[in-house]
Amino acid sequence: MHSNGFFLKDVAGFLGGYYTFIAIMNGVAALILWRRKNQPGWAITWAVVAGVMMVLASLALSGSASLVPSLPLSVRMLVNKLSGPVLYTLGTTALFTVLFVFRKFFVKPMVAWTVLNVALVIMGLSMADENFASIVMKADNVPIVGLIFMLAFFTWVATSQAVVNDERIAKGLPPMEKINDEKVLVWPDLVYTELICMVAVSAFLLVWAIFLQAPLEEPASSVKTPNPSKAPWYFLGLQEMLVYFDPWYAGVVLPSMVVFGLMAMPYLDFNKKGNGYYSIEERKFSYLVYQFGFFELWITLIILGTFLRGPNWNFFGPFEYWTPYKVEVLNNVDLPQMFWVNLLDRPLPRAPQGAGLLTQVGTILLREAPGLALLGAYLVLLPPLLAVTVFRKFFARMGFVRYMIMANLMLLMLTLPLKMILRWTLNLRYIVSIPEFSLNF
Amino acid sequence: MADKKKMTVAEILAAARAKSGGGAAQPSGPATESAAEPDAAPAAEAQAAPKAKPAPKPAAAKAAGGARPSVADILAAARAKKSADGDEEGGAVAVKPKPAAAAEKAKPAAKPAAAPAAAKAAAASAPKTGVQRDTASILAAARGGAKPGPVSKAEAPEVAAKLQAVAAKPKAVAVPAEKAVVVRTAPAMPARPAKAAAKKDGEEDRRGFLEIAMGSFMAMGFTALSVTGGLFTLGLARYMFPNVLAEPPSRFKVGFKEGFPAGKVETKFVPQYGVWVVNGEFAGQQQIYALKTVCTHLGCTPNWLEAEQKFKCPCHGSGFYKDGVNFEGPAPRPLERYAIRISDDGQLEIDKSKAFQEELGQWADSDSYVTV
Repeated sequence: MHSNGFFLKDVAGFLGGYYTFIAIMNGVAALILWRRKNQPGWAITWAVVAGVMMVLASLALSGSASLVPSLPLSVRMLVNKLSGPVLYTLGTTALFTVLFVFRKFFVKPMVAWTVLNVALVIMGLSMADENFASIVMKADNVPIVGLIFMLAFFTWVATSQAVVNDERIAKGLPPMEKINDEKVLVWPDLVYTELICMVAVSAFLLVWAIFLQAPLEEPASSVKTPNPSKAPWYFLGLQEMLVYFDPWYAGVVLPSMVVFGLMAMPYLDFNKKGNGYYSIEERKFSYLVYQFGFFELWITLIILGTFLRGPNWNFFGPFEYWTPYKVEVLNNVDLPQMFWVNLLDRPLPRAPQGAGLLTQVGTILLREAPGLALLGAYLVLLPPLLAVTVFRKFFARMGFVRYMIMANLMLLMLTLPLKMILRWTLNLRYIVSIPEFSLNF
Repeated sequence: MADKKKMTVAEILAAARAKSGGGAAQPSGPATESAAEPDAAPAAEAQAAPKAKPAPKPAAAKAAGGARPSVADILAAARAKKSADGDEEGGAVAVKPKPAAAAEKAKPAAKPAAAPAAAKAAAASAPKTGVQRDTASILAAARGGAKPGPVSKAEAPEVAAKLQAVAAKPKAVAVPAEKAVVVRTAPAMPARPAKAAAKKDGEEDRRGFLEIAMGSFMAMGFTALSVTGGLFTLGLARYMFPNVLAEPPSRFKVGFKEGFPAGKVETKFVPQYGVWVVNGEFAGQQQIYALKTVCTHLGCTPNWLEAEQKFKCPCHGSGFYKDGVNFEGPAPRPLERYAIRISDDGQLEIDKSKAFQEELGQWADSDSYVTV
């Protein structure tokens, strides 16, 4: 790797264009607001922001490496020190909670625009860090950056419409979609739109393919695994799940359950409201469960796997150098070990040498008794328990079969965050550990 | 937008027909406009129609969807209408139809009625053109599943009879008697060729010869096929036992015991054989053993980290001690051992055809290690 000064010169051109883009973006926003005449204060604010961005752009393009705007080293060190899988996961959960609870505030266009500007500037300042830039600008990671911004945008669009609709419904008015429900034809309206999109996206991909080189690596070899070895970006959530589970569960059962659960959704849903229009208040449970599964358990894990998992699948801070020699002290133990050895202070039950199959299986069952009991309680006892407490109304409206499917799907989904928490807090590897038959949970 | 486009096609056709003289019997409309045009043209005409009588729905649907030749009529009607209204709009081509959607919105009932109404309008303005068919005959043709083409003179009485029946039915669109009903004439179809005569038994002709010949050819073909298939299977079986095996042998020698000092993990056999040869301590005994370089979690190849004294998998972060026992990450069981022994010449010989798993208690097997 080249030294920092050379790197900054390399990245300065990009950053100049980047800040200029933000400046133009804010300038256009200011112009539009000024023309509308109803928010002159914000118009002036965005004009000022545009000016500041132009200053940043000129600093980046000044040709002097020391003038390129960047985060102070102390801040970067602090971020690296603080970041870890626990803080990342809990932090994103907290962030989503705040965004959800104060959604009426965050969906305001001016607030959302401010958040976008802040995100873009932090991104620009971070790009001046060599380690950050080398990860973010990797050809196969660039789409994830786009994904973050596009997800934020589309979530904002949906949420802001839902907030408007919820306010209208509270006042007894029909939702926005019911007022302006002019039908359009599939042919030609939709098909033409799709055609135009197709042409535009093809052109964009062509340009992308020309400017971003394919991330080709050395020839494959069965005895040499790249370090870090990463799945395609859309599977990085799965790969992160595999850190906490045996392959049969994280690679087969859970993904199948995701697909099955998505297919089952319309049959489990008994809420007739919120059909054909955005609304959060009217379907809070469905909204929260889906967003938790999608954002927390899928998207944040993809981002974690893409940007924060380095060699040996260790966690690296966003500004940390990806060294394969990072040592993380981990010593995972299975639940039987914890129960028999640590708690009861006696050796693990072991079948005597040359014992018959029945004795072996019996010994294994005895050894795994605590884990099996825990798992059984979780999957068998918890659904009825929930039915008479938290989900009383759900159970009454859904009936036995639908309720049981819903409850079990939800509990299976929650195994992932629960297992993550158990791994972080207790260093627990497997609750049920039967390596003799490759059955671990 | 679409309606404009569609109408333009109709317009062009009408114009073309007007140019060509517009009297003689015409072939039915091109196949491409079979479904699209009948819808659009009548919809546009619906406004022009004196009075859109609500017609029974099935009849309308059949007229619009089933009866293809109505296109010609509708186009003719459009042309007639255009030539009548031409002065106010400035030529047939420049006529701008109002979008059908507007008409639909204003009068939702107008759509089902549109097609017959338009056809009726066409019938009303037909005398000018001289060649015209009325809606009822089209409908009758469509309903009766009859030949959808133009009605020939020979068929005319039949059509007329059908027409009567249709007019009698309450569902059908009755055509007022004062309106002229002109059956379009078309050239009669050529006579149908006579069917081939059935072959008599014992009669020898060219077909019979072919049949006999084909029989023997079939037999030959199947014989050849089975012989080829058999040879191919034999060849495939031979292919399974190649003369030269490119893969390294499962038994190989790695050198003398002295080449593996205590505490050393030898990684030089990894690229070729996928084996670490380790001189380490296990169960209180100094042993030399061969560890398989496959992570027990998902099968990646871990790396030996000399500084940390552990095997670390790059895929999900599983870690193994020097003796192969898993201690961190998701790997559920220790790395596997290969069989190792001291061969007759005193060298260590590893046999990859046999693996030993710790969780099954196989590491106690004396084949899985060599004591130092």
